[in-house]
Order: sequence, then structure tokens, then C-alpha cells
Amino acid sequence: MTRLRKPLIAAAAVVLLTAGCSDPGAGSGDTGSSAPASWPAETTKLDGVNLTIWAAQNSNTVAKKVAEDFGAATGAKINILTVPDPYEQSVQTKVASGDKPDLAFWQPTASQLTAINAKQNLQSLDGAPFIDKYTPALKDATGILDGTRYAALVTVPAVEGVWYNKEVFAKYGIASTPKNFDEMVAAGRKIKAAGGVPFYEMGGEKWATQWWVQVQLADAAKQGLWDKVNKNEEKFTDPTILDAIKKYKSLVDEGLFNKNITSATFVDQGKALLSGEAAMAIQVNTFFSQMQAQSNTAELNKKIGFFPISPAGNIGTNIPDQSNALIAFKTGDAKREGAARQFLSYWLGTAYPEFVKDLNTVSIQTGVETPADVPDALKANADSIGESVGSMQVLAIVNPDLYLNLANMLAGQATPEKVAETTQAQFDQLAQAIGAAGF
Amino acid sequence: MNSMSTKTWTSAESVGAPSPPRRASAPPRTGRVQKPSQPLAFLVPAMAIMLVFFFVPSVYNLVYAFTDWSSFKSSINFVGLRNFSNVLSNGVLLGDLKVNIIYAVLVAIFQNLFGLGLALLLEADTRINRFARTMIFIPVLMSALAVGYTFQALLKPDGSVNAVLSFVTGQEVTYAWLNDPSWTLVWLTLIHAWKWMGLAMLIYLAGLKTISSEVLEAARIDGVNRWQTFRHVKFPFLAPAATFNVATALLGSMNSFDIAQATTGGGPGQTTEILNIFIYRTFGQGLFAQATTMSLVLVIVISLMAFPTIVLLRRRERVL
Repeated sequence: MTRLRKPLIAAAAVVLLTAGCSDPGAGSGDTGSSAPASWPAETTKLDGVNLTIWAAQNSNTVAKKVAEDFGAATGAKINILTVPDPYEQSVQTKVASGDKPDLAFWQPTASQLTAINAKQNLQSLDGAPFIDKYTPALKDATGILDGTRYAALVTVPAVEGVWYNKEVFAKYGIASTPKNFDEMVAAGRKIKAAGGVPFYEMGGEKWATQWWVQVQLADAAKQGLWDKVNKNEEKFTDPTILDAIKKYKSLVDEGLFNKNITSATFVDQGKALLSGEAAMAIQVNTFFSQMQAQSNTAELNKKIGFFPISPAGNIGTNIPDQSNALIAFKTGDAKREGAARQFLSYWLGTAYPEFVKDLNTVSIQTGVETPADVPDALKANADSIGESVGSMQVLAIVNPDLYLNLANMLAGQATPEKVAETTQAQFDQLAQAIGAAGF
Repeated sequence: MNSMSTKTWTSAESVGAPSPPRRASAPPRTGRVQKPSQPLAFLVPAMAIMLVFFFVPSVYNLVYAFTDWSSFKSSINFVGLRNFSNVLSNGVLLGDLKVNIIYAVLVAIFQNLFGLGLALLLEADTRINRFARTMIFIPVLMSALAVGYTFQALLKPDGSVNAVLSFVTGQEVTYAWLNDPSWTLVWLTLIHAWKWMGLAMLIYLAGLKTISSEVLEAARIDGVNRWQTFRHVKFPFLAPAATFNVATALLGSMNSFDIAQATTGGGPGQTTEILNIFIYRTFGQGLFAQATTMSLVLVIVISLMAFPTIVLLRRRERVL
């Protein structure tokens, strides 16, 4: 009896092991077929269908109204679940352990679609009824990986640039917005000399630290910097990127930033700019949404402006972020998958004019006008898209934790050289993992 | 209690319980190994759980560390020692390991000091002491994440702790407890020790209860004072309890994650990034194989720490 048991256990272990060694990402019976999915009519009845949308702290209100309206029109119940920050990391961890929503807000860049293994996990959105409605500049700009569309853009992609307080600029005698990075720094020095706080950074929550480096790389990015990085022909430790990191550090050391730079949060940053405590912040669009939540259009038009910045001029760095787009998961439940597609086509179909109005944001569809009372800063931000260049997230094949390494530098725990080195090491590992050539 | 269990047993017998176990009728064994008192089959449920939830994951952990498993693609291939060389050449792992060991040692010290102190303080079986023991045990039962978030709120620069300190000292205190590169790690270990001190206390209390009253009485007759009683009588008898407490605190906190994640997330500047946070971060990036490799490294480090610790403490028990 015992003699029999041992081989039995061993055999069971081997079976379990080999079963485990096969691809854990491969769902059963999932062939990843690229046959175009059907797109149900927008208001097909969906009584009893429950859909879950994952959203981040800064995107959990975007879909609220449209989800309620969809529920009223179809009978489906949509639950918007806030996944804790760092959002992308939390979502990837959940998905890896088999937990999937029906829809999720997701950064529609190639690197992030790769990171979530789009081919395996996501529904193809090819042939969606809303694709032809996008403005030409945005139609194929993002959301596509290896020729398949996986993400539906719902709001205008973010642009990294400078949000400034007009009243503070006036107070310190800065008549026109800076024409390049050096002019901006000069303006900052002028404000500091007069006793003001030129720049506000949210080092406590880390993620925005990378914008300061990325905007300095805008011109280089136009010249193909990231293509070289992608081929391992240029590194973070080479002068182009390293100097941008050093510059950021030197500006911090010079005292041009808020005193609580290592502990300040996203919310602190919004309050500081709105109240005039600080003059400028380099941020993306969600920053403005946050200020919108604390203010109104009239006040924002009076106080807040936007200009893109790069070393050579006013070139913005675009970065479609997680609040701009949604992805639909393959859940294995055909009914819910269809309902998820239906929700997207409802959102970007009949509901879109109402959505844009409700969110008071710039329209991304040719047939839908941007509401008249969208704040000026947001319009200026949207206008800069045409000229803008892709960020690291858009143009690099993978997305290392540059922001985290920079936050460590702000906390005094790493030198610029160390930041570059650590980031490059992560880049190498990730590039190796996706099987990129040259790594 | 005793009579009750006897009664239950008799009644079960009288209600036509199954015939006496086979072993009663089996011929006496002549071999050196005694026949176990229960059939081996009774072990199956426990072993099955061990197999599925412990053995198999451990083996996977070992296997995946040698592959290129990631979130980016569906195939998994063996890559030999590549993950190990990547992980070890990257300074972050060693840095985090250092943080982790400091964390574990401090937790072991604080948890045992608090636990022992409380046990001695609450040794007598009075009503108040019993109530106090219960209260002090409550954090042990709480979710570590809840503890972490609670302390995060308390320790904010404008949180309650600073408010109390401001009130007591009469001046504005705005110390950022969780944002101090040199001291935050210590505050975290204090939180960790606070959460688990109830358990250490309970074990020390149990140890104190095993000391026979005659020994204590003899000491009293010899005229020793309280400190001498503790140093020469109680403390030596607590050796087994200390072994258990030190070993579990040290090795358990090597595996810590939740408190640090909830309070600082590893910051400021990775000064409180214990290895499990790094593993979580790497896993979250989609580098599953690298994360697995790191957890394997952690297992090895913990094992390397566990054996000497336990051997050393055991030897102390024997000497005494």
C-alpha cells in the first residue's frame, strides 16, 4: 500500500507540474481568434447583466454618468471599482492571478498594451462603429498593438506641459508665457528672487516626477531618441537622458520647488496652483481635472493657463493616460463580452455629446462640438496635440519605473547617475522579457 | 470537564459505536517500530492541503525561477540562471535585503521586549490583568493592512500623534513620521512590534505559568529581590518561550509586507522597501519570473537565518 502511494504521489506531482508549466495566460478554449466581433445595437436590452469597470483614483468618476444612463437604457448594471494606486501595477497583479473585469481604464500605449498581454487578455475592438467618428489626428494615434485595436479612446489624450497660475505670473511681472525651457527656468528664478514658489512637485506620490525629465527630452524624441533606446543603441546613462535628470536635480537643489517636495501629494499640488501658492507645475491633464473638481470654469479661466514646453521651444509631450481610454477583457462569458462592447459603442455613440458636456471636456469626434464653456487651459492643452511628440510611454517598447527612481533621488537616496543606471537596468530586463532584439 | 468527556465517551459507546478499532485485535508487533495509534489514512487530508498549498507552490517557485515567465507573452521557456544573474547584479535586491534584515532584527527585539514586559506586568491573575491581556491581544487579530492604514493616518504631519505632541509640548510639531529617510524604518518596526506584542506576551505568560511555585517559594525564602527572581529564576525558565518568540518574530518579519505597504509603500526613497515590496513591484511590472527568483532568494536567506538562530537558542535552553 505505502509502496504504491509514493509513485502515485510522484505521478500526481508531475502531472500538476506539467499542467502548470503550460501557459497560465492561456484561457481554456480561447483561440485568440481575430474574427471581427459583432457590435450589438447600442440599446439592446441587457437585463440581469452585470458589468464591472476597473478605474483608478483619478478616473473613477469619468464613466459614472454614462454608466448610469446605459443602465437606465438597457437594464444592465455597471459597477465601477476603484483599484488602488499604483493603478497599472495593481491591475497587472490582479490579471496575472486570474482576476479580470469586463472593462478597465488603461493607458492605450503600445508598451502598456504589451504589458497587459493584450493579445491574450483583451477583446479586439476592430470594426467598432465609433472608429470612423474620431477626428483624423486621433483615429489611429493610439490604442493599437501589432495592427489590432485594443483600446477605445474616450477623452483627448493627455499632454505633458506647464500649468501655470496667471495671477502669480502677473504678480511677479511675467508678461508672456516662456518660449522654451530656459526661459521658463529664468521666469522661475525671477519668481523665487521675489519670494515666491516657482514650481510645485508632488514627490510624495512619486508618479509625476518623470514629467520634468520627459519634457526635456521632447526635441530629442522628435529626432528619434526612443528608437535608439529601443534598439539598445542609446542608454539612460548616456548624456541625453542623464543630463535631463541632472538638470531636474539641480533645479530642485537650487530651491526652485516647494519645500515639501518629498511628501507633497497630487491633491496638494492642485490646491497649491489654484491658490497661487506656487506659480507652475509640469503635469498632465488629470491634474486639470482635479482642479476642475475644486473650482469652476470662470475661476479656472481667470487663474489657470497652459503652455507646452521643450528645450528648443513649445513642443508638448503627449501621453495618452489611463483616464483617456478603456480596454475590454476576454472574460469567457460571451454575453458579458458583448455587453461590454455594446457599452463602448453606446458611450462613443449616442451618449458622446452628453458625455463631453457633462465632463466639460474637449471632444475627440468630428461630429461632436467641444462645449463652449470648456476651460481655456484645456483647449490650449488639446491644441498642442498636433505639434506634440510621444512620451517615453508612447515611443519606448517598455515602461521602466523612471518615476520611482526619480522620487528616490528627490528623497536624497540616489544620485542622477544611480537613477539612470537603475532605470536602464529595468529597461533591459523588461526588453529582454518581451524578447526585443539587442537585449 | 473531565467527567463530561468521560460521559460523552461512554454514551457514544452505548449507542452502538462501531466495533473496537482493529488494532485491539491485531497481534502485538514484534518489530522495533511501534504501530501508530491511528491509521495513516488520517493524515491524508492534512497532507493533501500541504501538498496543494505548500509543496506544489514551492516546487513551482523553484521551477519558474529558471524560466522567462512574464505577462508579455504566452510561452514560457527555460533560461537557465539568467534571472539570478540579473537579480543579483541589480543593486536593488541587496539593498532591500539589508533593509529587510534590519527590519526583522528590530522587530524581534521590540516585540520581545514589549511581550516580556507585558507578561511580567500582567502575570498575576487579577480581573484587571485579564481584561488588559485581552485588550493587548486584539491588535494580533486585526488585519495588518488595517493597522497600517490606521497608523498612516495617525502619523501624518497633520495627524493625531503630532496634534497630541503639539498639545503636550506647547509648540507646533509637524514631524513627518513616515517620510524620514533615517528613522521611518524604526517607526515601522515599532508598529509591527505593537501589532504582534500580544502574541509574544501570551507565550511568555504561558512560560511563566510553567514555573513551579516551589521554585519561586524557595527563592523567596532565600531572600532574593524581585530583579534577582527575574534574572536568576524566571528568565532561565522562559528560554523555550524566548526561542519561539525570537524565531517567529525574526523569521516572520522577514516575510513582512502589509504594514510597510500600507504605511509607506517602501518610501521615502526606498529606505523602507523590504524585499516583499520589491517582489510585489516586480511582479506588478509583469516580470513574473524575476519576482519568483527574488522570492526564492528570500526563502534561501530566511532558511540561512533560521537554522543558526534556532540552533543557538536551543543550545541556550539546554545549557540552562
